[in-house]
Amino acid sequence: MRDRVLKKLEVLADAAKYDVSCSSSGSTRSNQGGLGNAMKAGICHSFTEDGRCISLLKVLFTNHCIYDCAYCINRRSNEVKRTTFAVEELIDLTVSFYRRNYIEGLFLSSGVIVSPDYTMERLNAVVRRLRTENRFNGYIHMKAIPGASKELVAEAGLHADRISVNIEIPSENNLKLLAPEKDYRSVYDPMNQIHEGILVSKEERMKYKKAPRFAPAGQSTQLIVGASPEPDFTILKLAAGFYRQQNLKRVYYSGFVPVNSGDNRLPAVQQPPLNRENRLYQADWLMRYYQFNYDEILDKDNLFLDPAMDPKLAYALRNPHLFPVDINNAPYEMILRIPGIGVRSAKLIVANRRFGSVSFAHLKRMGVALNRAKYFILCKELPAAGLTGLKPEQIKKKLVKNVAAQGVQLCLELY
Amino acid sequence: MIYFYDGSFEGFLTVVFEAFRCKQEPEAIIPTRSNIQIPMGEQVTIPRDDQKADRVWMAIKKKTNKKNARMLNIAFFAQEAQKEMLLWRYLKKVFTCSDPGFYQNMLDEDVNGVVDMARRVKREVHRFQGFVRFEKSVDGIYFAPIDPDHDIVRLLTSHFKARYADQPWVIYDTKRNYGIYFDTEKVLEVVIDDPNFDINTGNLKDHAKDHDQDHYRHMWQAYYDAINIIERKNHRQMKNYMPKRYWKYLPEKNKR
Repeated sequence: MRDRVLKKLEVLADAAKYDVSCSSSGSTRSNQGGLGNAMKAGICHSFTEDGRCISLLKVLFTNHCIYDCAYCINRRSNEVKRTTFAVEELIDLTVSFYRRNYIEGLFLSSGVIVSPDYTMERLNAVVRRLRTENRFNGYIHMKAIPGASKELVAEAGLHADRISVNIEIPSENNLKLLAPEKDYRSVYDPMNQIHEGILVSKEERMKYKKAPRFAPAGQSTQLIVGASPEPDFTILKLAAGFYRQQNLKRVYYSGFVPVNSGDNRLPAVQQPPLNRENRLYQADWLMRYYQFNYDEILDKDNLFLDPAMDPKLAYALRNPHLFPVDINNAPYEMILRIPGIGVRSAKLIVANRRFGSVSFAHLKRMGVALNRAKYFILCKELPAAGLTGLKPEQIKKKLVKNVAAQGVQLCLELY
Repeated sequence: MIYFYDGSFEGFLTVVFEAFRCKQEPEAIIPTRSNIQIPMGEQVTIPRDDQKADRVWMAIKKKTNKKNARMLNIAFFAQEAQKEMLLWRYLKKVFTCSDPGFYQNMLDEDVNGVVDMARRVKREVHRFQGFVRFEKSVDGIYFAPIDPDHDIVRLLTSHFKARYADQPWVIYDTKRNYGIYFDTEKVLEVVIDDPNFDINTGNLKDHAKDHDQDHYRHMWQAYYDAINIIERKNHRQMKNYMPKRYWKYLPEKNKR
């Protein structure tokens, strides 16, 4: 019986691993006379051999599925081992792992069995019992099953810290091509409902402290990069829309792993496009933390991110008229745009220049990547170094050689 | 003057008190039980005095603020040579500088040094909130051995107390040979003389282990193996986030 649960765990964890989201942040659920709590910053408990963080027990409830999506390992037409957890088994695993501090909580997703509503109700049964019978206050990330009824999604929001619905393919045409049983409506409907639920709950909690929370850590989504031909510009525009309209906490980009061979609707690739995925995350960071708009990062003439350099450096080289920036006088927003300066160092610079003039040595101590930043800043010693008078092509030559040296391995994987 | 103290934070604050009172600038401040090479010069041993320590502590809070005082306390738990002298230089500047905002001046070498030292300690505390691994013992106590760089075991207390409020647990620093024990009501510092765990692997000995413990350990190892995506293998990144020196007590990084 124990071996059976072990086998199930192996199959259902293996089937869940292509969902790349791992975050356990954003919730402050406290421990009220039971087990566990949530930490605002999230906690990583381990790291896989592929370098991703493990913070949650990420499993499918079942890997049976009525759908046949081309990009998915669990599609109906694949011959893989199929299994389903019993509700009690999954609860015991979650609690026992949690008590040993293996995990920060549960990430529960599922193939679709019988119907979206039936599947959603099974997921709800697990988290409902965890929250009530087991008084479990650890982090729970749940998938809303596309097409599930409003009532069931509403119940999920009461138990989960975060909910996500995956958009999967960055344009509706290609989604319909690759997943004929899905459309954008079945994704946007629950997404909009969750967005609404979060807003309503926040408003009510301003009036009554005890009003129920609804997905306090917000919602996220995932899309697959490289399974369909959309350029980076389309992807970033889509992501920017999610951040603005649905107020998503995160958009995850998952480099296409060719799990199903021999489907001519999909590109024949040997390796997942890890470098492209990395550049998209960098661009995503620029939108969320560095006050960039998607159309400043890419535009109609530049549809793809440069694989050889990070998008912030690319932006600086395309906009030489904005540089060099005088770090002792420029506003915070402009300092944030200097390649090699991160959010922490930008804040340190602005907070400390009242004590005196910020020098090269200070920047180094603050953790600024001077090898890049030195071409774009003005501080008292710098003009003597004569570096800020260079043309963009000259800077690119100096820097991209460096970048390329680090990036060679990744680039080879891409092409 | 070369000052010796008992190694505690209060002992260090007592040294600061005496150094100011006697106007005797320290050349070194050294814990009595340490193997640091002692420089030449006049020596004095300062016994810990909680009242004097408290006066310095109040003065720090008044001159800066509560949050900053807490930051200093955290920095003190760093396992770094010369940490006492860095903190001394910092405190001397804070107490004598006319600018009341000086303690925030990151352009100053010593302010920056102390803040960075506290950051390194806090970073390890955060890491261990994730890397602590409990084994359930036959008497229902959850036991976790740790071997951190810095002396952080006390700094883990509040997090684990809030999270595992309904289970008794021990987190034990095997290098510094002391730990904290939470019995579901109060927290105690403990020293284990006759360990019922293997000092190398951290595993509880068979007679001390709950009969389900190995089952869940195997499940966790199996989960760790199953969640990996072979096509994305990236060992360097994994080791970056989870350096090898922390693997000793992680079941997922040890034999199956």
